[in-house]
Amino acid sequence: MSSGAEISEPIERLLQHPSLWRGRNLARAETFPSGFAALDAALPGGGWPRTGLVEVLVPRHGVGELSLWLPLIAARSTRPEGRWCAFIAPPHQLFAPAFAAAGVDLSRLLIVHARPALWPLEQALRSSACDLAFCWLERVRPKELRRLVLATEQGATPAIVFREAAARREASPATLRLSITPRPDGVRVQLLKSRGGSREPVDLRFPWLPA
Amino acid sequence: MKARQQYELLPDETLRAPRAGAGSGEPPRPPLALLHAAPLASTPRREWWAAVQFEPGITSVELERQARRAQDFTPRVSLAPPDAVLLELHGCLRLFGGSANLERILRGAFPAPWRLAFAPTPLAALVFTRSAQAVCIDETTQLAGALAPLPLAALRWPDDVVQRLAAVGVRTIGAVLRLPRAGFARRFGPGTLTTLDRLVGRQGDPHQGYVAPERYRRRCDPDVELTDQAAVLEVLSPLFDELEHFLRVRQRGITSLMLQLVHRHHAPTRHVLRLAAPALQARQLLRLLELQLSRTGLPAPVRRCELRSGPLVEAAWDSAGLWRPGEHGGGAAAAESPSFLEQLRARLGEGAVTGLALAADHRPERVSRPTPPQLGRAPRGDPSAPSLPWAAGRRPVWLLERPAPLGEQAAWPCRDGHRLRLLSGPERLETGWWDGEEIERDYYQAQDAGGARLWIFRDRRPPHRWFLHGYFS
Repeated sequence: MSSGAEISEPIERLLQHPSLWRGRNLARAETFPSGFAALDAALPGGGWPRTGLVEVLVPRHGVGELSLWLPLIAARSTRPEGRWCAFIAPPHQLFAPAFAAAGVDLSRLLIVHARPALWPLEQALRSSACDLAFCWLERVRPKELRRLVLATEQGATPAIVFREAAARREASPATLRLSITPRPDGVRVQLLKSRGGSREPVDLRFPWLPA
Repeated sequence: MKARQQYELLPDETLRAPRAGAGSGEPPRPPLALLHAAPLASTPRREWWAAVQFEPGITSVELERQARRAQDFTPRVSLAPPDAVLLELHGCLRLFGGSANLERILRGAFPAPWRLAFAPTPLAALVFTRSAQAVCIDETTQLAGALAPLPLAALRWPDDVVQRLAAVGVRTIGAVLRLPRAGFARRFGPGTLTTLDRLVGRQGDPHQGYVAPERYRRRCDPDVELTDQAAVLEVLSPLFDELEHFLRVRQRGITSLMLQLVHRHHAPTRHVLRLAAPALQARQLLRLLELQLSRTGLPAPVRRCELRSGPLVEAAWDSAGLWRPGEHGGGAAAAESPSFLEQLRARLGEGAVTGLALAADHRPERVSRPTPPQLGRAPRGDPSAPSLPWAAGRRPVWLLERPAPLGEQAAWPCRDGHRLRLLSGPERLETGWWDGEEIERDYYQAQDAGGARLWIFRDRRPPHRWFLHGYFS
C-alpha cells in the first residue's frame, strides 16, 4: 500500500535527530540546528554545539554577529521549560522589536550590564539557569577562557563570546571558533577551529532582511 | 452603676488582698482567685474608646503605622478603615494618670492633622470624629444626648438608607434613635438596628485587634571591632541560623533583608538585599551578603551589626529537584533562577540586571524598554502584549542609546568618509506630538563600506541632518 517516499521520510527525520550518531559524522557532538541549512552542513554534528565555548571574531560590532543567532534564540526561548538567554555586557541596547519579530519570547531575555563581564558570564554558565549566554569581551587572557570552558561543561550552557578579529592570532581553548564578515544581505562565516567542520567559508543570507 | 464600681475596685483589692491576709493571720487569698471570682462575665465590661481620624487620603500603610504608634498606649487597638484608628483606653487610665492626662498625651502623639474624640463605645467615638466634634464623654448615659444633633451621614450608612430616612424627615441621629425599634428593624433590616444599639452601648461592639506584622530584628555587639569582611560574616552567621529557624517555625519567607553596620569613625552603612523569590535558607542569604560586602567593602572597623528583615511573606519549603534544570528530564529552572538573579544583583547592583519588553509606541526610543526580569513565564497569547506592526527584518537588533550624527557629503550620508548605500526606505515615523517628544524622521536601511547594515534616518526638521540609530547586526 505505502509507497517508498512515505517510508523514507520518517526515516530521514529519525536520522536527523541530533542524539542519533551515524558513522558518517566525524564528531559525535550534541547540537542545536542553527536555522541555516548551509551552516548546519558546515558545522560539526550539523549545528551549534550544546555545550562549550563558541568564539565569534568580528571586525566591528553590528556586522551580523547577533542576527546569526536569532533562529537559535527564538527556538530556545519559546520552549515551555525555557531558561534565560543572557546577554552580558552588550555594546548597545538590544532592540525589542527585532527580537519579537524574529519569534523570540522576550520574557526569557536577561540583560546584564557589567564590566568586566567575566564574573557574570561564569555565574551564568555555572548556575545552569541559562539556555544560552552571549558575552562581549574586550580583553581576555587564554587562562580566563580556559576557566570559561570548564564552566560551560559544569552547567551545560553554551557560551557565545564575541571578540575582536585581532584575537585571531591568539591561541584559544574554544570548542568552536569562527569569524564573521558582513555581506549585503547576510554574513560570511568562516570556521577557524572546529572538531570536524568544514574549512570552506559559508555565505549566509538572512531571509528576514528585505532585499 | 453598682457593677461598674465593683469592677473598678477590683485592682485595689487584688493588690491589697495578700498583704491584708498576711497581717491578720488569715490564709492569703491568691489574687488570681479573686479575679476569677469577680463577676466579669455577667456585668457589661466598661470600655472607654478613643477614635483618631486622619486625613481622608491616608494610605493603608500609613494607617497601620499609626496603629503601631497607638499600641504604645494600649494593647487594644483596632483599625477602622479607611482613615481611623480605635484605641480602648479604660484599661490604661490609671497608668497614664487619668483621662485628662491621657487625652493630653494622645493629642501630642499623632502627627497632625487628626481629629480625636472619646466615648464609651467605639462607634460613637468614630461618629464624633467624623462630624468634627472633639468631645470627651465618660458615661454611656450622656451618649445619646451628645449624639442627638449629629447628622446621619456620620454613621456612613448606605446612601439609600439615608435617603429613605431623610424622606420621612429623619436627618439626625437623635431622630433616628427616637424611631420605634420594631418598625425600624422591619424597614431597614436588623443589621441597621444593631448598629444603633452598638452606637449607644446597648449591645457590645466587638472589634478585631490590630496585630502588627512580625519581623526579624536582631542586634549583635561583638567583643572586638571587626576589621574585615570575613570576621563580620562569622559574627553574623549565628544570626542567620537563628533567622532560618525563625522563618522555618513560621513557615514564612522574606524578600528583603537589611544589614546595618555601625562603624567607629564613620556613619553607619546599610546593605539591603532584595530577593526575586521568598528566601528561606540562611546559607543562601549569607552568600548574597558576602557578594554585596565584597562589592562595597568596609569603610571603617565595625562595632555593631543590626539585622532587620522585611515583612514575612508566604513561602513553601519544598524539596530540591532530582534533575538539574535543563538536564534531560529536568524542568524549568524555576528553582535555580532566582538565586542566579540574586547573585548578579547583589554583586552588580539592582539596575544592572534587566529584562526586555515591548511598549505600545512607534518611537524607537520608547518601543523597547528594560523591565525587571520576570521569573514566571508570561502566558502565551497575552492580550496586553502589543501586536507587531513590523515585518521581521524591518527593525535592527541593536539600537544606539542616542542617535549618532553621520558625516555628510553633498547632503548624502557618510560613515568613515565613505558614502553609505541606501538599501531600503524611506519609512516615515512622525509621532509623539502630544507629549513634547515629537519625532519627524525618515528611516532607511543602509550599508557602509565595510558591509555592515545600518539603520539611519534623516531628520525632517531643519537642519535635516543624518543620524545613525541602529545596527542590523
